[in-house]
Amino acid sequence: MSRRDFLKFSGASLFLAGVPISGYTKDKPPGNISVILLEGGMDGLTAVPPYGDPNLITMRQKITPKGFTIINSFFGLHPSLPNFSRLMAKNNASVVHATSFPYVRRSHFEGQNLIQGGGLSPFSEKTGWLGRSLDLAQVPGKAFSLDMPLILRGNKDIDNFYPASIKNSTLKSDLINLISMSHSKDEAEIFSKLSKKNTKASLVPRHPVRLAEYAGKEMSKENGPVASVIRVGTFDTHANQVSDDGNDRNDNHAKQLEVLDDVIAGYREGLGDAWDRSIILTLTEFGRTVAVNGTMGTDHGYGSVGLLAGGTISKSRVITQWPGLSKKEQFDGRDLMATLDYRSVCAACIERSLGLEHDRIASEIFFTPKLPRVYDYIFS
Amino acid sequence: MNEQFRVAQKIGLMFRPGTALPKDIKKWAISQLHADSPALGISRKTGKVEPWPLSMQPDLEERARLFRLYRENKKKEEERKDGQELESAKRANREDNRMEKKDEMKFAHRNVYGKDQIRMRLMSFWANHFTISNSNGAWQVVGHAMEEAILANLNGSFSNMLYKVTTHPGMLAYLDNIWSAGEGSKHNISCKQKVDCHSGLNDNLGRELLELHTISQKAGYSENDIRQTAKTLAGWGAYLGDSVEKLKKTGGTTDHWNMYKTRYAEPGKKKVLGKEIGTGKDGLRQLTDYLASNEYTIMHLSEKLCQHFVSENPQKKDIDYIANSWRRGKGDLDQIHSAVIDRAINSKDDKFQWPMTWLFQVLRLSDATFFKGWQNIYNYDNDLMDVEDIFEELGQSFWSNRQPDGFLSKKEEWSSVEMFERRIRFADAIYKVGKPKTSPEEIMDRIGANMTTRNLVESVGDNRGRRFVALMCSPELMGLKSV
Repeated sequence: MSRRDFLKFSGASLFLAGVPISGYTKDKPPGNISVILLEGGMDGLTAVPPYGDPNLITMRQKITPKGFTIINSFFGLHPSLPNFSRLMAKNNASVVHATSFPYVRRSHFEGQNLIQGGGLSPFSEKTGWLGRSLDLAQVPGKAFSLDMPLILRGNKDIDNFYPASIKNSTLKSDLINLISMSHSKDEAEIFSKLSKKNTKASLVPRHPVRLAEYAGKEMSKENGPVASVIRVGTFDTHANQVSDDGNDRNDNHAKQLEVLDDVIAGYREGLGDAWDRSIILTLTEFGRTVAVNGTMGTDHGYGSVGLLAGGTISKSRVITQWPGLSKKEQFDGRDLMATLDYRSVCAACIERSLGLEHDRIASEIFFTPKLPRVYDYIFS
Repeated sequence: MNEQFRVAQKIGLMFRPGTALPKDIKKWAISQLHADSPALGISRKTGKVEPWPLSMQPDLEERARLFRLYRENKKKEEERKDGQELESAKRANREDNRMEKKDEMKFAHRNVYGKDQIRMRLMSFWANHFTISNSNGAWQVVGHAMEEAILANLNGSFSNMLYKVTTHPGMLAYLDNIWSAGEGSKHNISCKQKVDCHSGLNDNLGRELLELHTISQKAGYSENDIRQTAKTLAGWGAYLGDSVEKLKKTGGTTDHWNMYKTRYAEPGKKKVLGKEIGTGKDGLRQLTDYLASNEYTIMHLSEKLCQHFVSENPQKKDIDYIANSWRRGKGDLDQIHSAVIDRAINSKDDKFQWPMTWLFQVLRLSDATFFKGWQNIYNYDNDLMDVEDIFEELGQSFWSNRQPDGFLSKKEEWSSVEMFERRIRFADAIYKVGKPKTSPEEIMDRIGANMTTRNLVESVGDNRGRRFVALMCSPELMGLKSV
């Protein structure tokens, strides 16, 4: 597979949001936040194998990576995450394990909708939790993308940008303005934004690492965006999750972990000094079954892991209340139990980056006033 | 817009210049359900419209053969054998043996030049409903599934189409069923006694068959229902790259569309949503027939059809009308589609059009040439873009990596600065390099453009290119205002 094919296959795309409008005088938020959306359901037990749990080897011998890095006496890290591992060593990255959004129905589409919408049930929200957070922090914004992912949709106008590559085409702002005037409200606004767009902007290369670097650079600028989202796909390994050649890094799931790891490294590179006020977190709709399914893959499950990185973390940890892997400790007798509500992790990252109070985030963003605050576990 | 074009925009692809406009639009639309049109296209960009060569439309067996050949050459490439590592050989391997780019071009041509516009729209709707994307080699047969599982079955029953799609090698590969083996299957039992033999049930297709293709989550089924569905599916399908000998041995046939590996099947009866499903190969048909006629399926799909063809904000009465036709005709697609046509005409609501549909409509209205000819699919052209790049830039390609839930129909999904920029840019590029044979004024007269559109076009000045872009990006031509 050529590099281009590989990257196309990985299906990543970038969204940036929260570019303060020039002349806007409100105080800047204290930091910036980046979400890496992992589509298809990342297998937390592969990414961060709990090798200290005796049930892991009994249940998953065939698909557990052999060459994992040791994090502590209980957890290891997949060998395809070397950059993340280095950040952990520098006390700039943490793992949250046995965690999930409160969603147990195992559908990708409901699950993705819920983790992006952040409502009380799938399809209940037309805006996303990050979009609402930007609204609440009064950061007007701009997103850089072809489509607008739900997670970034807010009530305020978040605008988008993703360079087109259409041969023999030009944009004329006066023409677009006239077109805008013929449209009714919603579409007129979109055309009107388009007419103000700087069409000479340099082309953003569309592969995940470069996208992450680009996002990092943009966020590091004085009036740059405060939020970004990158999507990495195809974690849905129902079959042939591991390769035949015994090399952990050639596994199907591992290839996606590698993209994720490169994306984190890209952010680190691009952010430069802004790294110190950054937090990056992963988000996936569910974990995968504890047992191997027989076609050497795993099916849709519940608990998974979240990976956090950024200079705002000053002590690397594995944050978890480990539920165990024995049959009776599993959720529904098949999945890793989630003992920590991942919304709390998202809330802590919003609190750290946008400077909002936890109680407001809990009730106004996630509609759950009693959402536990886990800030201190991550940032103290 | 006059009635003919208003309807053609909602449920068709617009009338090409020179086509007589039907007097009775509803009668015409319903007769279109049986329109007979070969896959029309052009061989070169200056060529005339003619049927696609049969040699570029191979059947499944040939597609499987090409797939095996492609993989053998890839292996040689890695081993640096027989000169297969040379750029020219790699290129020849791609161009001679992979089908997706040819299929994508044929799809584009059919939509731009075909005489079966309503059938094309229905094909896209159902192909999107039954999304098949690239994994496990399914890319080789995505185009085949669209034509042979969907289009060829548009005039039958929904249950038949459902069965044909579910058993299509593309679907069985895309959603991993080709690897699945029942827990109690002969294969699984003997496998479990060996070291390093992997076998078992895979529930990916079973889950989506229920959630996306038929009854939807509203039906409130359980994980057990999903597993029982997966058990019914176990044994169906084989990897496209399997050798002829292996296929014969495990499936008793080389026909990938009738591939049932008894050794992999779960023995015994199954029970899905309380319905008993018989044992063996016939079980799947019993299950798909049952799901096809289920009330949740009828409601789920009537709403989806309505959202796509009738109105941006479908009303209950329109959904019920379609559902009632579905029930009355026992899932007969002609009756269902006729009901959709009836409601689309009856409803004066706007329907925002997918980027892909809009592009086809712009090209048909203006008689522009924006896709290369089939002889030049792989050749660089100074003016015309690659077919795959066009669909990628539109943000809508049936041949890119996609989630099984497909593209949504609602306006919000397609309304953003970037999406609208692409409309402007495509209209501009189509004018510059596509050499439209009809002028904006001729188009406006023919479709009976409304005052908003005419005023807009007037306001941009005399430049014909600007007038063209303004017309194609007007609310009227985007499906946002039809009064």
